[in-house]
Amino acid sequence: MSGGVGSTILIVEDEKQIRRFVRQALEREGHRMFEAETIAQGLAEAGSSKPDLVVLDLGLPDGSGVQFIETLRTWSSAPVLVLSARASERDKIDALDAGADDYLTKPFSVGELLARVRALLRRRRPAQEQAEPLVRFGDVEVDLARRQVRRAAQPIRLTAIEYRLLVAMINSAGKVLTHRHLLREVWGPPYSDSTHYLRVYVGHLRRKLEIDPAQPRHFLTEIGVGYRFRQ
Amino acid sequence: MTALTKYTFSTLQRYLLALAACALTTLIAWPLHNTLDLANTVMLFLLAVVLVAAFLGRPQAILASFASVALFDFFFVPPQISFAVSDVQYLVTFAVMLAVALFISHLTAGLKASTEEAVARQTRAQALYSFAKSLAGAVSVEQAIAETVAFIGQHAGGDALVLLPDRDESLHAFPLETDATAPSLTLAEQISARSVFRDHVAIESTGIGASGGTRLLLPLAGSTRCRGVLYVAAHASDDAPPDRPPALDRPLLEGVASLVAIGLERLHFVEVAQHSQLEMYSERLRNSILSAISHDIRTPLTSLYGLADSLATAMPALAESERETVIAIRDQALRLHQMVANLLDMARLQAGKVRLRKEWQPIEEVIGASIQAVSQAVKTHPVQVELAPDLPLVAIDAVLMERVLCNLLENAAKFSVPGAPITVAAAVENDRLALSVSDRGSGFPPGSLPRVFELFERGAAESPVSGVGLGLAICRAIVDAHDGEIRASNRDGGGACVRIALPLGRAPNIEPEPAEADGNADDGDRE
Repeated sequence: MSGGVGSTILIVEDEKQIRRFVRQALEREGHRMFEAETIAQGLAEAGSSKPDLVVLDLGLPDGSGVQFIETLRTWSSAPVLVLSARASERDKIDALDAGADDYLTKPFSVGELLARVRALLRRRRPAQEQAEPLVRFGDVEVDLARRQVRRAAQPIRLTAIEYRLLVAMINSAGKVLTHRHLLREVWGPPYSDSTHYLRVYVGHLRRKLEIDPAQPRHFLTEIGVGYRFRQ
Repeated sequence: MTALTKYTFSTLQRYLLALAACALTTLIAWPLHNTLDLANTVMLFLLAVVLVAAFLGRPQAILASFASVALFDFFFVPPQISFAVSDVQYLVTFAVMLAVALFISHLTAGLKASTEEAVARQTRAQALYSFAKSLAGAVSVEQAIAETVAFIGQHAGGDALVLLPDRDESLHAFPLETDATAPSLTLAEQISARSVFRDHVAIESTGIGASGGTRLLLPLAGSTRCRGVLYVAAHASDDAPPDRPPALDRPLLEGVASLVAIGLERLHFVEVAQHSQLEMYSERLRNSILSAISHDIRTPLTSLYGLADSLATAMPALAESERETVIAIRDQALRLHQMVANLLDMARLQAGKVRLRKEWQPIEEVIGASIQAVSQAVKTHPVQVELAPDLPLVAIDAVLMERVLCNLLENAAKFSVPGAPITVAAAVENDRLALSVSDRGSGFPPGSLPRVFELFERGAAESPVSGVGLGLAICRAIVDAHDGEIRASNRDGGGACVRIALPLGRAPNIEPEPAEADGNADDGDRE
């Protein structure tokens, strides 16, 4: 399974028409699709067809998406893309913290769906390879091996925490990271609710590494949920 | 005088009856004067005095006492048929007899008066009790007042009027439909009524009425506040002497006043309870409608949008015109979804249901996120962000503030020509964070500025620009929830500007990092 083409994808969604257009879009990309209407069905299907990616709706009638994810995660590390309504950030955050990898807000376009799916399937590869030591985005180059950061070939000074944050975000490039997750990873569990620290430090990174810190292109805000680093 | 004896005689008749009683006693005792001892004769007279005191009253009993002594002396004490006294000790007899007679008349009359008063009190209490019962069953203020007026007319001998305060605390007589004889207040009485209401002190007067007669103004004092004033004018009485106006049964009326006050209070709270119940019911209704709309309408819209988009991106591609149609369907579905989302948000905000999840953050982040979110809508407009340096953190609900900025940015794009710049600025002004979104478009229509934040207010009726006119109303509701202010204005040189001021407060400290030790980001080979 490489490049994400021709993967097996499971969609767990109770609304028939949404299943339909998602299936159409993904089959066009060359993926093999399986469908389920309920959590129970979804888990059963996941067990039998062993998908490379699961698209999960958070509004299922017979249980919460978090239950599904937790159960799935006991035996599968397949990426999970959750679909949720707008204005339910809490649901998204809970799902992400439980092990989901990314989310889409309804209504979403085919283009957004495909972009997310591609990003999630592509990341399966690095499990077998070494991560790249050199990361480039915009006019910035990060040398993870030597712990050096350059911008337009000039060295940039980052504090310890700024660097840790940068690395955490680079390592999950393309994937949404909740506030809580970043706070725990960079500052540690006692800080998991001190979101102001995270926001201020992301602000520092933007000021140092973005062309227009007020309209960032790489350190993106996922409002109400967290951040996403995009190369 | 509401006496309870069966017979009512005039005062003169009573005196005559008292004398008659003494005369009768003499007549009865005279034939026996030879066999009956004088002491026993005295007893007979005393008995007569007691009977007179019990049935005719104190003054009559006193007259009877003196008459008895005189008759006893004349007819029974030797020498008989003469006022002379043969034995001086009879004077003692006369003195003691008189004293005893007077004392007995005093006691008996007093007893009778007490009994009468007790019975009157009993009757009053019974009347008040049945009045209280009927008042407790009253289901409206009209009914309560009608009962009151009827009761007072029947039992307290007066015409009553109830004055209730309106919203501005001024008193008005409560009109009763069936009341033909409702008294009306003179100006002086109205002034007195106001002072009674204010000071909770009753006023009784025989002089303030227009036509004379006793007037009583009682405050209807409830447990929390004064509920009104009871005005009672005594019934005109034909046999009352002109110099003594008919009195009112004041203790009864005070009892009535307190019962009426309690009754009015009870009715008030019943109304409050009904109102609350209605509110609760409509709240529940609104919530169930909201949640029904939330899921049931959004789901098919999501499908519509996705299916149309799927068709638009199908391979092999559709014919150009068909593809355009499908794209139009998709875009309409999206617009519809946005309108529904706006309506739901507005409903939720209006119901006060939204709990802010405020977090301290730099305003820059929300600005950036908003611009990114509406990038499609503003793609034909360059967006400039002007931030003052060193802006403090502000406590806001990021999701809601993003909505505000998205609305403002979309409006700016909608109402200006492609290429016109849009500016987002933030600075600290007067202890508040001042945020503004300005454009170089057509601006707000003249005269519409005071109303732009109202619900369903649109720039021009039937304008070609889409939307239901909720965007700015939602912005205001969200800014209000943050204790902020929002203002719209037109710029010099054309264009609109919306300014938001948010309170700042004390941002939490960010601890500075410990001095770099080793092995971390700040290595020696970087400057």
